[in-house]
Amino acid sequence: MIRAATTSVEDTRALAAEVAGLAAPGDLIVLAGDLGTGKTAFAQGFAKGLGVEEAVTSPAFILVRSYEGRLPLVHLDVYRLETMQELVDLGIAELLDDGAVTLIEWGDAVAPGLPADFLEVRLEAKEGADDRLLSIRTVGPGWPPRARALKEAVAKWSI
Amino acid sequence: MLILGIETATIQVGCAIGGHEGVLASFHAAKGRRHVETLVPAIEFMCRQATIELSEISAIAVDVGPGLFSGLRVGVAAAKALSHALRIPTIGISSLDLLAFPVRYTNRLIVPAIDARRGELFYSMYRQVPGGAQRLVPYQVGTPDDLASELLARGEDCLVVGDGAMRYPAILTEVSGAEGGDATSAFPSAASLVELAHPQALREEFVQPWELEPLYLRKSDAEINWTAAMDRAT
Repeated sequence: MIRAATTSVEDTRALAAEVAGLAAPGDLIVLAGDLGTGKTAFAQGFAKGLGVEEAVTSPAFILVRSYEGRLPLVHLDVYRLETMQELVDLGIAELLDDGAVTLIEWGDAVAPGLPADFLEVRLEAKEGADDRLLSIRTVGPGWPPRARALKEAVAKWSI
Repeated sequence: MLILGIETATIQVGCAIGGHEGVLASFHAAKGRRHVETLVPAIEFMCRQATIELSEISAIAVDVGPGLFSGLRVGVAAAKALSHALRIPTIGISSLDLLAFPVRYTNRLIVPAIDARRGELFYSMYRQVPGGAQRLVPYQVGTPDDLASELLARGEDCLVVGDGAMRYPAILTEVSGAEGGDATSAFPSAASLVELAHPQALREEFVQPWELEPLYLRKSDAEINWTAAMDRAT
């Protein structure tokens, strides 16, 4: 588990961009944390780090957005879903099997419906209005080989 | 009677038009995965080249899967929209039936298998009967190993068609008596769709557009466990 602290929305984006530098085709990133803790900000920074030029907005109402960067990026928000069937109906199986990097906001809620191989980024609000604590952990076999690189990428923010 | 066929169950997008005289025109593109952008212009182009007006079409046939959701949604939505706009009925046919149809003259067991992603296949089994191919088992979703085990248990010569056989060629090597995996039979064809829909249209075996549903074999009854800690406004 890596713990990192950011002090502004821009800072969270910068950290995310560093993580994106390590992304590989088929990666799944689960974003966890309460409303307003910066999940979409993380996604925006991550997209920028992947070379996405288009503006990334919250997919809360349209559920899925796709972007083209160094790798294709799929950005999902499952906040509006009630049942796992809706996740299936979104075509989660093919989204995750298309060589894209997939970011899922509120992904921890639907973890049973996801492959057990992802990077979880949990965001928590801290004392200052824009202070955030990020807890980054790997689940499954995909990320541990990149653990050292990941640690170095976010060293600037590590606590 | 002219039937417009719409087929989007795999990475391929296709359409065809035909009737008593057989298939008059068809379009298929298996590269690009741009079902939304391709389908309607393809229908328009095909009709124009074949000098057929949309008003001459009597029924819409659509591949209802199983297959890729991103494609099926486009095809089924387009079929519903055209059906409402033209006030004509619809016919839904399975992608697996469509894969089996062109190879119906083989004596082998016909096994269509579509790449369902995440290490799974949609598949079924068919046998040649006079006038077509008859399905022997339900439409299924399972791993390549599941399918290979079922084929080994049956122990008969089989022909595996569909992009599933191309993605998992081990099925063909592990099961003695299995053949297939050709690119020519990788995708369901819109032309087969029109051919299969024609006798159904003559028998008036239609479904109303609002009854048309994609065939989703993956089911999950579970509710999402939104815990209080997640602070989700409801």
